[in-house]
Amino acid sequence: MMPVGYIDSIYCGSGVDGKGLRCVVFFSGCNLRCPFCHNPETLYKKGSPMELDALMARLLRYKPYFKRGGVTLSGGEPFLQKEFVLALSNSLKAEGVNVCIETNGQICDRSLIEAGDLIVDVKNQEEGDLKEYERFFAECVRCGKEVKITNVLVPGKNDTVEKLIFLSRLIKKYYPEIDIKFLPFRKLCVEKYEKLSLPFPYENIRDAEESDVKRAEEVIKTCKDSII
Amino acid sequence: MGKAYKNESNERIDVRGFIQSNYTPYEGGAEFLVGPTERTKKLMEKVQGLLKAEGQKGGVLSIDTEHVSSLLTYPAGYIDRENEIIVGLQTDAPLKRGVNPFGGIRMARQACEAYGYKLSEMVETEFAYKTTHNDAVFHVYTDEMKAVRHAGLLTGLPDAYGRGRIIGDYRRVALYGVDKLIEEKTNDKRAYGARQMTEENIRACEELYKQIDFLKKLKEMALLYGIDISKPAKDAREAIQWTYFGYLAAIKEQNGAAMSLGRVSTFFDIYIERDIKEGKLTEESAQELIDDFVIKLRITRQLRTPEYNDLFGGDPTWTTESVGGMGDDGRTLVTKTSYRILQSLYNLGAAPEPNLTILWSAKLPEPFKMFCAKVSVDTDSIQYENDDLMRPIYGDDYGIACCVSAMKIGKQMQFFGARCNLAKLLLLALNGGKDEKSGDQLAPKGRLFQGVLDYNEVRAAYHTYMEWLCRLYVNTLNVIHYMHDKYAYEKIQMALHDTEVERFLACGVAGLSVAVDSLSAIKYAKVTPIYGENGIICGFETEGDYPKYGNDDDRVDAIAADLVKEFSEELKKTPAYRGAKHTLSVLTITSNVVYGKKTGATPDGRLAGEPFAPGANPMHNRDVSGALASLNSVAKLPYECCRDGISNTFSIVPSALGESEQDRIQNLTDLLDGYFGQGAHHLNVNVFDREKLVAAMEHPELYPNITIRVSGYAVNFHKLSKAHQLEVLKRTYHGRM
Repeated sequence: MMPVGYIDSIYCGSGVDGKGLRCVVFFSGCNLRCPFCHNPETLYKKGSPMELDALMARLLRYKPYFKRGGVTLSGGEPFLQKEFVLALSNSLKAEGVNVCIETNGQICDRSLIEAGDLIVDVKNQEEGDLKEYERFFAECVRCGKEVKITNVLVPGKNDTVEKLIFLSRLIKKYYPEIDIKFLPFRKLCVEKYEKLSLPFPYENIRDAEESDVKRAEEVIKTCKDSII
Repeated sequence: MGKAYKNESNERIDVRGFIQSNYTPYEGGAEFLVGPTERTKKLMEKVQGLLKAEGQKGGVLSIDTEHVSSLLTYPAGYIDRENEIIVGLQTDAPLKRGVNPFGGIRMARQACEAYGYKLSEMVETEFAYKTTHNDAVFHVYTDEMKAVRHAGLLTGLPDAYGRGRIIGDYRRVALYGVDKLIEEKTNDKRAYGARQMTEENIRACEELYKQIDFLKKLKEMALLYGIDISKPAKDAREAIQWTYFGYLAAIKEQNGAAMSLGRVSTFFDIYIERDIKEGKLTEESAQELIDDFVIKLRITRQLRTPEYNDLFGGDPTWTTESVGGMGDDGRTLVTKTSYRILQSLYNLGAAPEPNLTILWSAKLPEPFKMFCAKVSVDTDSIQYENDDLMRPIYGDDYGIACCVSAMKIGKQMQFFGARCNLAKLLLLALNGGKDEKSGDQLAPKGRLFQGVLDYNEVRAAYHTYMEWLCRLYVNTLNVIHYMHDKYAYEKIQMALHDTEVERFLACGVAGLSVAVDSLSAIKYAKVTPIYGENGIICGFETEGDYPKYGNDDDRVDAIAADLVKEFSEELKKTPAYRGAKHTLSVLTITSNVVYGKKTGATPDGRLAGEPFAPGANPMHNRDVSGALASLNSVAKLPYECCRDGISNTFSIVPSALGESEQDRIQNLTDLLDGYFGQGAHHLNVNVFDREKLVAAMEHPELYPNITIRVSGYAVNFHKLSKAHQLEVLKRTYHGRM
């Protein structure tokens, strides 16, 4: 049977979701409910399922642009749709298309980890939520997997020195060489919440500025250079 | 004098052959480039002062109302005589505009008055007894032609100004010297004289007379500057100067909308490389020559009326220079001077003119691709056209006239035909031939539509009116170009063509995306016309959603491809003047704003008076599936039906194109390779934030030199009218949230 996936939308033409020019496939459904979520329309697995062939046909229209780029699977959480992600990843690779997966890193599955380049968006807005990542990164390291780490920087929530030190320690343990890329929290998605009649939990938190990102990077750099 | 070039003594005029035998392809990077010399900086400072003064005076620094512009009208003019390397101005002072009433005395008079001047009695008297091109066209125009022109179904017709879009092969002046050109044309005239004196042959002989006469005037014009151009240029400076004189003569004689330069950089490179080898030039002095030449091209001006500026905003001259491309033999035509002319955007600052156009090929050297992309990211001043698409048709020595019109240099010319408003034509079809704005019966009476529109019925009615309009359109253009040849013949430009030229009748369409989305709405949603009291449709009720052009959705993109194919086929049914071949462009320049004003509400939900999207662009903010999807939709328009070009203006925010500057540059080259690899024709590239333009609109003093690509050309953002600025802000800026 043809594998089917629940896809919210496809965005064709991003230069910032992995290397080169990319198409981004947004999967429907997520295992987390992050209060800063930028894509609330992808929280629930809904809509009509899309067959693998149809999705492939759509994506391959952009192959001429994929010299350095390819397809990024995002969401939602793509890892929730294991069978479909693996099938899609295999089909894309068979066509010579690079695959990159953006995950929240809370579903630890070796075959998914190996399905493409990984961007792990570490969520640390609450207390003690970094524990989940130990297992995941340990598995990544076992697979010899290179990863990229992102973190949404939310003023007053996870930009304190303490939070940043915890984050830095976690990453340093598994990937001492790589830098964390901070994504400034933005409220451009407020209209999406209104449209969906969903509450936006962080509505009253201010946008993160370039200066917040710079400060966080400095804290991380200090941690990285120190022995602890 | 340096050693002779191969082919130099060749009997036949063959610039391409000269280039092919002598040029040095360059596949390296931009490391060799140098900044401006002190002299260049000083001269440019003076020019900046003049440009500022021009802006403060409402866009026109001064007008010479006493003379009629031509080759020998004005004494020699200089910016700064001591410090110029390449000389020659259109009038006796920089940025002073001459008057050219051959297109029409009324236009000239109004243009003077718009800027607080009065056309002199002398010029008025001189033209009181002269038939201008504009007079003559209106002597022949039928009521129907006048009516569709007035209603805005056909707009921007070159019936009151120079048609332009003709590229003289200005390089011939340098390569052969004017004496040889006169000799060739004299031989041709003798040969034509021996033929049967048919009307056609008599006209050819008279035209040859005019060409020879103006070649003689060209020599005299150069002598005003103390330079004898009767013999071939001997070094780089002479080659550039001679070539520039040819171009200067053309812009003194003609005020054509687009007076394009051709393809000179690789030609110049031959002379520059030889001078460098012989120790006569250094990289600094070579760059200085190019910079000085570019300064001259930046200050060319024509006198226009405010109505003209509504159509073609930003005071453009379309001094289009085609750069790069590949040769038929597989060698790249990129040379160091291709880099040097782009470098002028750094040395002199970003600017809209000359309209630097990269002929893009998958096979261009990678370092050159990257340099071009860098120039785009840094300056937003250049455009790209698909060499792999055009080279098989036009060979490897073609140039772009205006924005997107390809032609073999010196061998082909075109009759510029402006464009037809496709969206308005659809409304005309829905209103049984009546103009939706005035209620006038413009076209033969047709059926009226009641209730929910049926796609097939609408499409059939649209076709009937398309047949009617295409015939009328070609006939109108035939009148215009017959009269232009008769009363405003381009003497010096045609003298720099072969005597036997191939001609194109360059027709065009505007409002493609509006017409296409409207048809898609009728086909896939439920559209019901709403009638006003006068029995004319004043709006539409649309229920349900429909696929929109610009999202790489074949259901609607196929309608777009069909429409241009159908239009192109209909045009060809009416023979064109002088055996010209019909071509078609999907290009609006900035007239998309005026066309929108003249068009009622459309079934796609666009309100009455709202601007169209420019050129072949998807309608503003309806291309929501991402930049690549938008590009793919436009790439589906068939170039074989649109041989006069398919213009696409693309704006992307830097943060969506890539994280670092290097990423942006690489991603832009991938984007261009991907787009053109699918047979797309043209791309204007802007890499900037909408916010920057909003800021520039509010605080023009803080952003004096913002150059943006609009529709096949670049403009200084501040030279656009408020309406044009707002339209630019409305466009889709591809980003990713």
